[in-house]
Amino acid sequence: MKPPDQGETNRSAPMIACHNITFRYPGSETPLFEGLDLKIDTPGFHALFGPSGVGKTTLAKIISGDITASAGQVSIETPLPCLYTFNRERLPGWSSVGRHLAKTTPPGRETLRDALVDRFGLATLMGLRFSQLSMGQCNRVNLLRYLLQDFSILIMDESLANVDEPTRQDILYQIKARFPERVFLYISHNVVEVARFCDRIIVCRGAHQKPQVQLIPGQDHRADRPLDKNAMERAMLEIMNAA
Amino acid sequence: MLHRRITQFLLIYILGLGLLFGLKGVLSLSDYVIPGPMGVWQTGKAEFLRYLKDVLNTFLVAVIGQLLSILMAFTVGILGRRATWFGSFIKVAAYNVQAYPIVAIAPILFILLGDGFLTRLIIAAMICYFPLLLSIIGIMSEPVSDIEHFYRVTGRLRWQLEVKIRAFENLNKLTTVIAGSATLAMAGTIVSEFIAANAGIGYSIRIALYQSDLSKILVALFLIGITLSIYQGMLELIGAGVKKAWAAG
Repeated sequence: MKPPDQGETNRSAPMIACHNITFRYPGSETPLFEGLDLKIDTPGFHALFGPSGVGKTTLAKIISGDITASAGQVSIETPLPCLYTFNRERLPGWSSVGRHLAKTTPPGRETLRDALVDRFGLATLMGLRFSQLSMGQCNRVNLLRYLLQDFSILIMDESLANVDEPTRQDILYQIKARFPERVFLYISHNVVEVARFCDRIIVCRGAHQKPQVQLIPGQDHRADRPLDKNAMERAMLEIMNAA
Repeated sequence: MLHRRITQFLLIYILGLGLLFGLKGVLSLSDYVIPGPMGVWQTGKAEFLRYLKDVLNTFLVAVIGQLLSILMAFTVGILGRRATWFGSFIKVAAYNVQAYPIVAIAPILFILLGDGFLTRLIIAAMICYFPLLLSIIGIMSEPVSDIEHFYRVTGRLRWQLEVKIRAFENLNKLTTVIAGSATLAMAGTIVSEFIAANAGIGYSIRIALYQSDLSKILVALFLIGITLSIYQGMLELIGAGVKKAWAAG
């Protein structure tokens, strides 16, 4: 695997710190978070996990700055921005996928783009419009264009939904190998996947439980390493117990 | 689209005529009140060319008025799309002004500017401007989050791109609004001619009204309707063509 074609600017020491975060949606009687604390001090592929409605997307948006918490502080100590991407994003309808990627690829990252297009299984789709793609293909194209941008932290909100298992696995291995110095926060409902591929799993438990988030170590599996199945099963059990 | 518009108009026009002739038959009304089919046909043959010129005169004023409105509405709509004090001011002003029947101030314009081309043009433009502005502000101030998000977080979202995305995503709505505003522009011009102008089909209808000649009014209505149907059909065709060309890159 080649290192990312990013240059010196992307060599970052990412850190996310959320302190005493409180958030309540307008009209809601109960807060989604109350005094939530979270700290991520190592780069790598981490997960945000939890049942539907527990606040994974909201927490991701608070971290990325898309929404502001009612109280508390979010501190991002990284040289490059934190980007948030979600699985329903679309490309403009007036441009083909290939042309859009060509226009949004920062200078000097064409080699990385071509390599990712190939590995993500998108090479044959470059002449098509976004509306002509399947949902899985749409999500792969969307994730790819984010991976080409300047970022220290990328929050992937179900970014690989509707992508078949082998392709998803290959994409995750690719990301982990090509971007080892970045922080990824992968939102997924698949406990097997997060236990296997993620370094740490941040389990969101809701405002009524203390602590509101719990960090569970995952297997952080890579393509060139053997998988410890027993350890993975233990991680899965821990995740399920925490949730 | 074009043939559908024309067919729809013809159907409604024939239904309306049928209703009138039915009423005439049921109530045994004289030709003076509601003329018979032959009377309408004869008037049509006699007045067709003169009324066609009048309709085209009115249509020209309406189209220029509509174009001015579209330009103004896009300019103000794009400037006022943001949630700034200026955007809020534009929206509130447009909502309030739109609630007022603009045609009611037409007499003031006739007093100030006389009964020429300019007065008709201003009334036509004013009548279709505010509904257009409201629709365009609505479209332009509504974010297309699933497309704009990427450009916003990567610092690429310039105002031109924002407007392009919102216009592209709402092209069908914009086409409908613009085609609909043609009716308003035409109505505004006819009403202004009806009030005080000295040209156009509204002026001819006013004369026919003074003569209590329903045949002439029916012929005028036919020509107004068919002209407007063709124009709206063409606007829809242009909208579809623009979308197709735009989508094809």
